[in-house]
Amino acid sequence: MSKVVVIDGNEAAAWGAALSRPDMVAVYPITPQSSLVEYLAKFIADGRMDADLMDVEGEHSVLSVLHGACLAGARTYSATSAQGLAYMFEPYFRTPGLRLPMVVSLVNRDSVSPTCVWGGQQDAMTVKEVGWIHMFCENQQEICDTIPIAYKVAEHPEVMLPVNVNHDGNYLSYGVAKVELPDQAVVDSFLGEKNVNWHACLDPERPMAVDPLTGGATGAGPATFVRYRKGLCSGMRAALDVIVEAHADWGRRTGRHWSPLIEKYRMEDAEVALVTIGSMSGAAKDAVDEARLDGRRLGLVKIKTFRPFPVVQVAQALSKVRAIGVVDRAVNFGWNCGPVFQEVLAALYHLPLRVPAMSFIGGLAGADITVEHFSQAIDRTLRLAAGELAVEPVWLNEND
Amino acid sequence: MGTAFDTIAFKASACDGCGKCMTACAEAKQGASRISIVSGAGEGRFELSLCRQCGDPKCAMVCPAGALAKDEASGVIRWDANQCVDCLLCTAGCSFGGISVDSHTARVAKCDQCDGDPACVKACPTGALEWVTAGSVFKKYGDREDMFVPGLSGCQGCNSELIMRHAMRKIGRNAVLATPPGCIPGMGSVGYNGKTGTKVPVFHPLLTNTASMLAGIRRYYDRIGRKDIVVMALAGDGGTSDCGFHAVSGAAERGEKVLYVCVDNEGYMNTGMQRSSTTPFGSWTSTTPVGEHMRGKTQDAKNLPLIMVAHKCAYVATASTGYMEDLYAKLDKAVEASFRGFSYLHIYSPCPTGWRIPSSKVIEACRMSVDSNFVTLWEYTREGGLRFTRSPDRPIPIRDYVKLLGKYRHLDEAQLDHIQARVDEQVALLRMMAAEPVAAE
Repeated sequence: MSKVVVIDGNEAAAWGAALSRPDMVAVYPITPQSSLVEYLAKFIADGRMDADLMDVEGEHSVLSVLHGACLAGARTYSATSAQGLAYMFEPYFRTPGLRLPMVVSLVNRDSVSPTCVWGGQQDAMTVKEVGWIHMFCENQQEICDTIPIAYKVAEHPEVMLPVNVNHDGNYLSYGVAKVELPDQAVVDSFLGEKNVNWHACLDPERPMAVDPLTGGATGAGPATFVRYRKGLCSGMRAALDVIVEAHADWGRRTGRHWSPLIEKYRMEDAEVALVTIGSMSGAAKDAVDEARLDGRRLGLVKIKTFRPFPVVQVAQALSKVRAIGVVDRAVNFGWNCGPVFQEVLAALYHLPLRVPAMSFIGGLAGADITVEHFSQAIDRTLRLAAGELAVEPVWLNEND
Repeated sequence: MGTAFDTIAFKASACDGCGKCMTACAEAKQGASRISIVSGAGEGRFELSLCRQCGDPKCAMVCPAGALAKDEASGVIRWDANQCVDCLLCTAGCSFGGISVDSHTARVAKCDQCDGDPACVKACPTGALEWVTAGSVFKKYGDREDMFVPGLSGCQGCNSELIMRHAMRKIGRNAVLATPPGCIPGMGSVGYNGKTGTKVPVFHPLLTNTASMLAGIRRYYDRIGRKDIVVMALAGDGGTSDCGFHAVSGAAERGEKVLYVCVDNEGYMNTGMQRSSTTPFGSWTSTTPVGEHMRGKTQDAKNLPLIMVAHKCAYVATASTGYMEDLYAKLDKAVEASFRGFSYLHIYSPCPTGWRIPSSKVIEACRMSVDSNFVTLWEYTREGGLRFTRSPDRPIPIRDYVKLLGKYRHLDEAQLDHIQARVDEQVALLRMMAAEPVAAE
């Protein structure tokens, strides 16, 4: 039977992980992830979760022990944030290349320096090109539900890629809400039997060399390398459909239907749209509602799946508006804008018409993006629609 | 497969020419001594003249009466007094002076090894004569399967290749093998472009995460009840002592049940012979070059095996290919310990390319490193503490070892004194640790 509880986002993630029955959980604490792994340790200590807990000496080893376990046949889980992800980067970069179907929660936090321990998505946005699938959750229930969905996607034979399930540090990690915990039997039948190392394994019964050397100037080496790289791209492309199917399957079994790639909110007749990602979307929807009450035809597109980027869905959803304001919780330093903004621009290039768009950056280092901030963003985007161009990003919390 | 036999070994450097072996032999055989100690090259140097019990005995080949033949069980060349016609052609046939004439009987006199308990060895007061079971490794493991392809592309005379082949021949197929970036995968053990170089499951971990990946593999196999798999690494010294040390230390602290073999060639040899933290003082490397302002490495080597002792591992040992029986005995213990906790085996491995020595000198370098105490051979368990497995009573001067190696060619007297002093300090510390075994916990 499902059960309704009131928990914070980190506990919701811990439940989502526990219900997915990983064989091994490796942990190293970091704010704001720490309570998540403490919940897992407690679940295991209390016998509510049957997994090997590995308390290792750092995030680099967190992912490394899970690489070993996964190649031996284990379903694996961990979670980290910001500096932890940075320290994890070497094995992190390797994970998709080995096609290891792991799930790791990123409890998003702004990255040092300046020194900061509060929420922001700079960590995830900095690793967006590595080859992991990235999904961003809006609320505690979506965190709990998305983790089993992530396993289903990661372990799909046409995908075989690792997944980061992102939830915002502070607002979601510590924010408390009502969550319906799915029934274990429902999750079990949804996920089915694991088969994580059919493609590459370390098993004396199936001896093979894992990751022999490739590359070189000519001959089989570089061609082999290209084949692997293209395979990773194929897995990413296949993931778009698999993510949609998995969300639909989850919806049929639990009654909760989350938008798999993007969510379109009041977009039917929208003239101007906001694009959001993560927990900020709730306040943004309130601001859209207020604008609608004032007679403005506002809509919103929320990105759930950021990698692979749903190019077609984003372009179609925004094809009929006159202006777009993209709100980011991270910075793209090279382009002086938000990273999601840059992605949306690239998707819009597929449209026959040029739609003006602008970048808003807010919520850095734990700052709150309020309904008022979104109302300001809406006002500015409406002026963009009226022809007032913007070449600089708007920093929403700059004058708080 | 051939056969190896036990034999009488002679160490010229220990012989003082007392002749007690000859007296003992003459008494045992009631006639002329079969063993002769003769003057060698130089004052106070002696040489041995004794039957070698050759595998291809020339004495037997020239015998017209069939009186000499190699005994299949013992390897001894037996002389049959009834068949012998006293022609003495055999004494001319042997080029080692190993077969002679007993003037009392006027008949052939040769060593029969006293049926495996030679009187000469028992009589030798200096240890110059030793009854050695030289073929023990070969006899036990000679017909085991080699786990690597024949065409590994190591440098000529590579000692690491010797270690790899011997270790995996001993351990067998029920293993998962990590070979982190370095010479060991560089010579093709993980293979190229989808082809493997090893018969056991093998992988490239990162240089930095070998012990962690092993820990994850072991934990999962333990979880599903496949507890008999040897989960192990053949890693280099750089990845172990430098960038991968966090993982080694973490896994050891947690008591992960894995076998970690560190093949120490004293630097990053595969990438072009750069210095690592285990590179000894004074060494030339490509990042501690010798020039007007620099004379090789200015720091002492990190003593990694002692650091592992401080982790209270299930087993820690050092070994050298100069003493293979010692190495094999430790491999046995290390594998067994890896099912109980973290097991660490540190094998010193001269690199002919990077150390600037001919490949023919590799084993000599191994032996001299041990005989000079530059390398110490010991093992540690929590129950038994630290114990030397081989320690020279009269160590040769460190200069004799160092001058063998091109990488030390530039050393001045002060640097040599520094190395000798550090070696003496190191041995004194180890002796203190070995003196009082730790009581079982």
